[in-house]
Amino acid sequence: MGKLISATLTRAVLALLIVLALGPILWTVLGAFKELRDIVTPVPKLVFTPTLDNFATILRNPTIRDGLLHSVIVVSAAVLIGAVLGIPAAHTLARHARKWGDDVQFFVLSLRFMPPVAIAIPFIVIYLDLGIYDTLFGLVLVYLIVTVSTVIWLAVPAFERVPRDIEEAAAMEGCGPAEIFWRFSLPVAAPSLFGALVFTFVLVWNELLLALTLAAQNATLPVVAASITSLGKEVPWGVINAATVLLVLPPLVFIGLLMGLLNTMVRSGPK
Amino acid sequence: MANITCTDIVKAYGAHPVIEGLQLDIPDHEFVVFLGPSGCGKSTMLRMIAGLEEVTGGRIAIGGTDVTDLPPGERGVAMVFQSYALYPHMSVRDNITFGLRRQGASRAEIEPRLTQVAELLGLEKFLDRRPRNLSGGQQQRVAMARAMIKTPQVFLFDEPLSNLDAKLREKLRTEIRKIHMQLKTTTIFVTHDQLEAMTIADRIVLMRDGKIEQMGSPDEIFERPASRFVADFIGTPAMNFVHAEIVAGDRLTAHGGGMTLHLSPQAFTTLKPGQRVELGLRPARMDLCEPGAENALSGKVVLVENMGAEGQVITEVAGQEISFVTQAFRSLSPGDSVCFAISPDHIHAFDPETGDSLRQE
Repeated sequence: MGKLISATLTRAVLALLIVLALGPILWTVLGAFKELRDIVTPVPKLVFTPTLDNFATILRNPTIRDGLLHSVIVVSAAVLIGAVLGIPAAHTLARHARKWGDDVQFFVLSLRFMPPVAIAIPFIVIYLDLGIYDTLFGLVLVYLIVTVSTVIWLAVPAFERVPRDIEEAAAMEGCGPAEIFWRFSLPVAAPSLFGALVFTFVLVWNELLLALTLAAQNATLPVVAASITSLGKEVPWGVINAATVLLVLPPLVFIGLLMGLLNTMVRSGPK
Repeated sequence: MANITCTDIVKAYGAHPVIEGLQLDIPDHEFVVFLGPSGCGKSTMLRMIAGLEEVTGGRIAIGGTDVTDLPPGERGVAMVFQSYALYPHMSVRDNITFGLRRQGASRAEIEPRLTQVAELLGLEKFLDRRPRNLSGGQQQRVAMARAMIKTPQVFLFDEPLSNLDAKLREKLRTEIRKIHMQLKTTTIFVTHDQLEAMTIADRIVLMRDGKIEQMGSPDEIFERPASRFVADFIGTPAMNFVHAEIVAGDRLTAHGGGMTLHLSPQAFTTLKPGQRVELGLRPARMDLCEPGAENALSGKVVLVENMGAEGQVITEVAGQEISFVTQAFRSLSPGDSVCFAISPDHIHAFDPETGDSLRQE
């Protein structure tokens, strides 16, 4: 009997925690489909006629549409280039340059110690001089500092966890260093690397300060979303909710795609 | 298949030498075991032959070709690792055939060879599984199949059985030996387990501190150890050692530790009265005897260890512990007085300073 009570209690607490965690997200998603009068009623409404007006408002709004597009381009490019540069660098550090590995890894991390505000202002000046202020290229460039360093920092331990014997067994079969990396180390470390990439993606996707200071016309979605609050006289709650949903959607889709890609990569050996 | 020649091999990590001037010749078809305590350089030696470790000095030749500067894949060797080192992201089939597929062998060529090795190692049922869904013994079989399918000139085994439980280890040991009798591929097998070495080897290379202490057949190593170290390392239970002095008389006799033992005059032709020696008495070569028999030792039983068919009896002889092995151990209990003897032919004598064997023949 006591067992039953404690089990029920545990479940109740768990259910409460889940509601607490997911409640706001769920409410935001619901809000995105509500008309303003359904949102601002004193008694919260669960049954309402859903509308796509909020999404239509956002997607018809050129500023928001462009913001979304810019975000996708800038963040994808920064994460992709960061991965292409950072992952091989991490493997080299983990396997061939262990002597300097710790120092390099610390240096790379130290890049992240700097508060973004500290680099934002010098970057404005430099970017203005170089003529890349308010360009997507400029944003990709500054985000690369974040993505490359984060990818290296997280990928070195991922590669260190790959058993050295596996790489040596591959060498015994005649594989060169590049082939060992591509066919063995990378697939074996893939699950951890995937986590590193997602983390990096989310980090730059939500970045506001550098985007706010280094771009004006070519702003990314967080900048635009931040400015939505001042769109009209009354706060457009539905539109803000819809914008939030849109902001969350790309990372989710990206994660799904990447997961599928990695799974196929891991499954197929050489044909 | 090929012979292996290592000339003046030196390996150093920084200024710290691990192997110094090692000479080794392994004839074709031979099953050689590198044996020694951990840190003696046996694994390093194997990895240098494999090409996974660079040699600091000296040359390695396999089948007459100098392979010292060749990458591992071009040496015609295949290796089985202690940790199995299977590719976790590939099925058993892909693991085994990876090397052949990489060389561009056709499916028609691979399939019969895969069937052959899978049959030899009993892996037919597991070909489509992932390595993580196999037991340790099955994983090691896959690793062996992966090495075998390439029909290499040389097999290298780096403590392949150390991660398995005792029963499975014995089974796989027999299998490896049987496979070698069938394929006759030159094999080097590294282990720190002397029993494993004794049972599996054509020839044992016993190493200590980066040098070869003794090289020979299991029988030679067991019956004529070249040094006290070898005598102590080989054999279970371990050899008894007694400090003694050669005494004058008509027979070659050593006296020490309250014991008087006759030695074989043919084996030790250089021993002189007054010379100090360290005698080695193998427990397995001693047995109970009547009092007054040749080389009889009398002592008090301290402990009897039951090993099934026979038992190890630890006795105290004039203040020193001496053990011997007998089948009649069940009639003994601690506190009993016993008499046991060793034939003069089975007594070893070592130089107490250098540890070298004083046996001449």
